[in-house]
Amino acid sequence: MSGATHAGAGYTRGALRVLVVEDERKLARALRDGLEAESYEVTVASTGEEGFFLANHDAFDLVVLDLMLPGRGGLEVLTTLRKRGHQTPVLILTAKDTVDDRVQGLDSGADDYLVKPFAFPELLARIRALLRRGRPDQALRLQLKDLTMDVMTRRVTRAGQPLELTVKEFELLEYLLRHVGHVVSREMLARDVWHVTARATPLDNVIDVTVARLRRKIDDPFETMLLHTVRGVGFVVRGGEG
Amino acid sequence: MPSVRWRLTLWHAGVLALVICAFAAGIFGFVRARLYAALDRQIEVDLATIETVYREETGDLGELAHRMGVAHFEVTEGSTVVYRTPGWPPSGPAPYRVSALGDSSHHIVAARDEAMVRQTLRTLGIILAAGVPCAVALAMGGGYFLAGRMLAPVATMAETARTITAESLSARLHVENEQDEFGQLARVFNDTLARLEAAFEELRRFTADASHELRTPLAALRSVGEVALQRSLSVPAYREVIGSMLEEVGRLTHLVESLLTLTRGDSGRIRPAFEMVSLNALVGSVADNLKVLAEEKEQTLTIDAGSPVSVRCDPAILRQGLVNLLDNAIKYTPRAGAIRLSVQQRRSGEVAIEVEDSGPGIPAAHQGRIFERFYRVDDGRSRDHGGVGLGLATARWAVEANGGRVELESEHGNGALFRIVLPVPGC
Repeated sequence: MSGATHAGAGYTRGALRVLVVEDERKLARALRDGLEAESYEVTVASTGEEGFFLANHDAFDLVVLDLMLPGRGGLEVLTTLRKRGHQTPVLILTAKDTVDDRVQGLDSGADDYLVKPFAFPELLARIRALLRRGRPDQALRLQLKDLTMDVMTRRVTRAGQPLELTVKEFELLEYLLRHVGHVVSREMLARDVWHVTARATPLDNVIDVTVARLRRKIDDPFETMLLHTVRGVGFVVRGGEG
Repeated sequence: MPSVRWRLTLWHAGVLALVICAFAAGIFGFVRARLYAALDRQIEVDLATIETVYREETGDLGELAHRMGVAHFEVTEGSTVVYRTPGWPPSGPAPYRVSALGDSSHHIVAARDEAMVRQTLRTLGIILAAGVPCAVALAMGGGYFLAGRMLAPVATMAETARTITAESLSARLHVENEQDEFGQLARVFNDTLARLEAAFEELRRFTADASHELRTPLAALRSVGEVALQRSLSVPAYREVIGSMLEEVGRLTHLVESLLTLTRGDSGRIRPAFEMVSLNALVGSVADNLKVLAEEKEQTLTIDAGSPVSVRCDPAILRQGLVNLLDNAIKYTPRAGAIRLSVQQRRSGEVAIEVEDSGPGIPAAHQGRIFERFYRVDDGRSRDHGGVGLGLATARWAVEANGGRVELESEHGNGALFRIVLPVPGC
């Protein structure tokens, strides 16, 4: 990693164990590969029974739970786990996305809820957020290489030169810096920076334009590029290639 | 419950039977009274004749009795019998009608046989007793036939209706007489069929359009993947390929989300959460979000906010509608054009949000259908803009979910004005 202030880095990576309960083979494999690439230790269960058995007997830091499972459904597994006093954070992954479904999931003891199809960076961000729960990221000074941001005074400088950012550009940069090194998707930006919850709202163009403008201000005059576009996925700020 | 035909017939026959019976009873009573009256009158004539003969020549009474034949009589003076026809007092199988005349000196009693009267009455009774049921039966038969004829259109309608399925919704009932009740019923039924047919047609077109729109990104996804696998590429080139495929996935996702929103709206599964919302603030914030797009195209985006206006609505849904309209306006207005947003309280009390652009406008031929799902004025151009063809449909849904409507004023070549009209606050 670069010399960035790692957002809320309150855990040791590599030691974290994630249980993925997902019956769709391809997705389960993608989840395992993707999470392992982020240095999580991943165990995959493909049925509700197996998931329940593993969660009940092994110590996991986090469970990623699909709701529509053969045999024992995800909600039932979750309810039983909670009844038995397991406090492991659970992130529900499902194609059901009505308000009622969400409420039901969260009421059953889930800590977060992600609707398929989801952007992988978003899953990673949510997992990070769950794992640092109780220790919110409240850093007031964010820094990446020679780019600094003071959240209180709303001052942004690069290589010592102050940069004039609009409110949205500032919020966007702050969000990116809080996820430094991690790709953020347009959905995440729409929800967290633009506060638009309706998934069908056409905001991608707005996001792309704002990112382009931000890039013109923080990157164009300088040699090293910090704000990168990951085609088809989203954006990331990081201090070098890779 | 017997069929309508039978019920009609029975009512008809019942009423008719009642009327005929009353009529028959009336005739019988009348004829009976007249016959007896005639008989009585005849006896009175007999008495008068007897008296005359008695007064003039008592001895002739025997001849008179012989001449009168059917009549029987007795003439007495005090307790002395002057004359008595043979077999007096009359007796036998038939009853007799008796009448008397006299004073203190003499007394005359005459009787006549009622047999003829009784015979006539019996015949009449038989005729009536046989005729009434026949008439009722005839009436029933006629009624049954008529009811059948009247109800025949119902049977035809039922038969036609039975054969109508989702595939043959174009069939219509035959209307014989537009004015009568069955004609009206058939017309109502046909109107329902027409609406159903339109709805099915819309659904069919929608499904076809949706498949087409889904196929386009799928085709791109597939081709890009297949072509990339045909040869060995460098790692950055593979990244490009995967990125390009993910972009198509994004398009698919967006399309599915939009479709889901609309179908959920259709089936009433989205329950708006109403609250008092300042429209000025909402318009301001939407404009704030999208103004970068206008700035990129050097368009001027102005807001005419009059006095503050608040309405009861679901801000998230209404916002979605407004974003779609404004996004649409920015998309189709050329570089350096002008877009105007305004909020106003109308004289009718309604509240209007207007989105006016200086774009090419919408030809009149398309204005009626512009809000339909997947409807495009110009097929190629819109897809270049990245739209999926659901923006205006979503906008209309969003406004209607808030109890409002979207109006369109546009002249080809002269820009377009979309107006969200919302009902009066507090009503």
